Order: sequence, then C-alpha cells, then structure tokens
Amino acid sequence: MGRAPHEPSKHTPGRDEGQVPSQRGPEHEQETTYGSRPHDAEPAAPGRDGEGAPGSVHIGRGAHEPGQRLPALAAMAVLAAACVIGLVLTWMYASGIVRAYAWPAVLAFGLGVITYLVGFFIFRRIRPVRPPRVTVAVLATVWGLLAATGVAAYANTGMGGLWGQILGYETAGAWTAALTAPLNEELLKLAGVVVLAVAFPRALRGPVDGFILGALVGLGFEVTENFLYALNSISMSGALAPATSVSDSTIVRVVLTGLGSHWAMTAIAGTAVGVLAAVDWRPGLRRALGALGLVLLAMLGHFFFDSPLLGEGLGGIAAKVAFVFLSAMVVYFLARHTYRGRVRKSLSEQGSDLGMRRADAKHLASRHGRNKALARVARPERPEVRRRQERMVEEAEDRAARHAVN
Amino acid sequence: MAEATEQGTGARRPRSNWVPLAVATGIVVLLGAGWPLLDAATPSTQELASDHTVDVGSGGDYAASLQPPQRGWNMDTTRTMAGQQYVLTRGPVELDLTSVTPPQDMDATPENLWAGMETTSKVHDASARLGRPENANSQDGTEGLVGDLHTQGRTERAAVFPSPDGEFAVEMILGGKDATEADLAAVEDVVEAVSFEHRGGS
Repeated sequence: MGRAPHEPSKHTPGRDEGQVPSQRGPEHEQETTYGSRPHDAEPAAPGRDGEGAPGSVHIGRGAHEPGQRLPALAAMAVLAAACVIGLVLTWMYASGIVRAYAWPAVLAFGLGVITYLVGFFIFRRIRPVRPPRVTVAVLATVWGLLAATGVAAYANTGMGGLWGQILGYETAGAWTAALTAPLNEELLKLAGVVVLAVAFPRALRGPVDGFILGALVGLGFEVTENFLYALNSISMSGALAPATSVSDSTIVRVVLTGLGSHWAMTAIAGTAVGVLAAVDWRPGLRRALGALGLVLLAMLGHFFFDSPLLGEGLGGIAAKVAFVFLSAMVVYFLARHTYRGRVRKSLSEQGSDLGMRRADAKHLASRHGRNKALARVARPERPEVRRRQERMVEEAEDRAARHAVN
Repeated sequence: MAEATEQGTGARRPRSNWVPLAVATGIVVLLGAGWPLLDAATPSTQELASDHTVDVGSGGDYAASLQPPQRGWNMDTTRTMAGQQYVLTRGPVELDLTSVTPPQDMDATPENLWAGMETTSKVHDASARLGRPENANSQDGTEGLVGDLHTQGRTERAAVFPSPDGEFAVEMILGGKDATEADLAAVEDVVEAVSFEHRGGS
C-alpha cells in the first residue's frame, strides 16, 4: 500500500486546512475502518512495522490483548483491595485527629479538594497529544490517596523504629524521614503505577504515560499527606489557632514545596514503568538500567528533599525543590519530545495516505491543532471530522507505542 | 501470535503481565507488613544513662532539655521523633513529651497552652479532659502549669512550660495504660525536670 507523494493541487481546500479526509473517499476504497483492522494491514514504512509478520490485534480503547484480560482483572482486584486496606489503615491512623479537630479537618479537606482538582487538571492536560482516560486518571489518584498513603504510614513507622535502634533516637530523628520515605513511599506509589499498567494496558504503553500516571498517583499521595500534616500541625502548634495551622501547613506544602514534591518524584519513577511496559516488561540491559536509573533518581530526589542537608532555611528548601522539579522536567520533556516526534511522524504518514498535507496532518498531534482544524469546517460536519481526527490520532498513538517493541 | 512475531526477528516473547503484577503486589505486602513485623520483633527502646539529657526542642533564643531525676528511663525509638515528640518509658509509666511551636502573633501564655492541650489530648481519647491546673516551675525556674488529665477511667498528669520568650513550649503527659497511681506518684517530679537554657550568640 504505497503512499502518494504530496500533491497540494489535488487537495480540496478543506484538506489543506487541516481537516481529516474521509476514509470512505473513492481514492481510499481499499482502506478498512480504523479501529477494526489488524495493525499489519496499515500503511507502514518497510521493515519498521514488521511487514510480513503478524502484528498485534488492533483493539479499541479499554480492550485487552490476548493474555492480558485475566491479569487485568486480577490487577483491578489488587487495586480495589489495596485501596480498601489503605482506607482502613488511614482511618485507624487519622480518625482520632479528625474527631478532635473536626472543623479544621473540614478546612483541610476543602484545601485538599482544591489541590486535587488543580493537580488533576494540570497532569491530565500536560500529556501530549491526548489526555489520559478520566477513569484511569482517577484510579491513579485513588491509589495515591488511599493505598499508598495508608500502607506507607505503617511501613514508615516500622522502618523508623528500626532506624531508631540502629542509629540511636537523636540521629534517627534527623535522618529517619530521609532513610525511610524514599524507599517505602516511592516503591508503594510505583507499585500503583505498575498495577494500573497491568489493569489498563492501553493506558500505559510508554514513558509519557508512565510520567503522567505517576504524577497522578503522586498527586493523590500528596493530597492525603497534606491533609494529615495539616491536622498534625495543629497539635504541633499547641492547638492555639487550628485554622491558621492548617492553612499555614497547606501553603508551605503546596505553594512553597509543591513543585518538587510527590507528584514530581512519582512521575520520574512512573516513567520507568512506561519504559518497561513499552517492551512488554522484557527490557534489554540498556532499558532495564535506564528504568532503574529513573527509580533511583526519584528516590535520590526524595532522600535529598527529606534529609537535613542544606538546613531548613529558605535557600536549602529552594535548592531541594529545584532539584526534584528540574529532574522531573528533564524527564518529561525528553519523553514528550520523543513521543510527539513518533506521533507526528505517524500522522504525517497517515496524512500522506489520505492525501492530506503533511504539515496539516502533523498539527493533529496537538489539541490546539485539532481544534483549529475543526474550527475551519462547517458546524454540522464537526462531529464526523472530530471522529476521524480521533481515529487518526489513536492510530498514531498505537504506532508510537509499538515503536519501542519493534 | 507472539511466537510468530519472534520468528526470524530474534525478538523475545513478551513477559506475562502476571510478573509485574506479582512484583507490585509483593512489594506492597512486603513493605506494609514486613517493616512493622520486623520492628515488633526487635527491641524498640533505648536505655538512657542516669545523667543523660534529652534535648527536647528549641526556638527563638532558648533550647529546652530534660534530665529525668530517676534512673531507669528508656526512650521508645519507634514512637519518638527527635525534635518533635519523645516517648520515654519506665516500667509501666510513659512520659509523652512534645515540643510545640505556637503560630506567630499568638499569645502563648501557659493558660492558653493548657486550653490547647485539652484539645490535643482528645486526639487519643475523645473523653479526655484536663483538671484545674496549678502553677509550677521547671528546673530553671520557668513558670508553667501542672494538673490532672482524666482519660479512659485513669488520672494522668499533664504539664506545660512555655519558653521564656514564648517562641515554643514543652508539653508533657505522664501516664501509661498499666501504670498505677503509685507508679505515677513515684516519678511525678519528672514533668518539672525540664529546663530552658539561653542559647549563646543567638
């Protein structure tokens, strides 16, 4: 199935303006409907998509490849069980403090809801091409909100007690957080990203997905932790001004240190899950080391953040936040650049097959580009054009995801 | 399908999704149960020497410390977070000691701190209430309040001492689920063994 070279003179004005041509046009009669054909039947560069070898079955969003369904169901059961256990553990840990500080707890909850909604919007929004499914995004945050936080509270206490024995209570007081949280919390949050990757294989197929779902898991963790810290801060300030303690604690943890906190650490570590999931969990040495490096980078950032190094002054805190945030940004932009490049390339190839201008096809990789193209067509045609855009973009993302395997 | 893909390409068969799921589940179970069990199986107290001084906290121009007047006190290393909260034990008796930092612009008088302490004591027992406090002096003469804490059918002792400049305060509860009144009476002077020292050069 060859691709026609770009011939602008043959294009309709609509196509030149970035619309997605109908696949049912006369020149594309041989094309089958997107979403129902096998991958290997699609246009592909020779040797890149494995021509001549059967590829994986193209499946709709939310469906599973053969052999993935049962593990996915089991993963959902693990997710549900872990969240219930986490909820119970969190309640056991926090029920007394919530009861004692009922109104401040309402305030802390309200501030947590705001933090959650803002973070949820941002982290879904920054995924290149398309946002993750709401269901998956919500479940990612739920793992962080309940499972990771509840289990981490007990894991940290247990490990902290051991450090107290090993280091003595004075040294442990300064170092326990740095020596427990990076291991326990990062691994518990990361486990959630892995469970989601198994439960929703199509939602986590590469580093970008790992970054986004990791950030969402971290967001959930952060919201619960902020809530508990806010209530603890009442006790630590003598319960003289509970509302002030809650708002001060939240401001410090969201405004001052929020940029370099859990979302960023888990996003880095979550990228490692994407690296592994992209190759069906069977990485070569280079990928395995890369994934390990990402997890260690997240742990290092967490260690640095929690350690007494650089003191408690504003400069020290700023340096720690900057280290974690900039690390996350480097990982994000590298993953984003690679992913967008693959999607745009695929869109360009599809566009050529459909007689679209390459630049117009590439513009479909961004929401802005798709909306711009939609704005140029008559209103009644928009739903159909939007559906075609979706199919092209989905196909492009499928190809981008398969790129690592191939 | 996977096998067919491998033919002639040298590609390896995808690993079953059961493997990452098992690893993730194992990590959650291991961390969530392993550390607490290991901690429970090992000693969680650190014996304090008779002349040991516990640095309780600091703020503003002062630092607080506690030198228990009796021998035989231990530090509970699991529940202690140095700089914030300390749990000392001696037989069935427990001394919970917290360094609190009042919000800025708050009038951290002993009376206000005492009222706040009644609120914080309800975290562990909703029925807890503080009795009428009496004036007391810490080891260095700093004024504070000492009184009874009625909780779960027991009467414990509570004390609060704000630092001389009011930048922080030390709150203490002397109790223990299995401690008798005699046990508490034998060590009740420990709550007044805290002292505040002016930090040179600060």
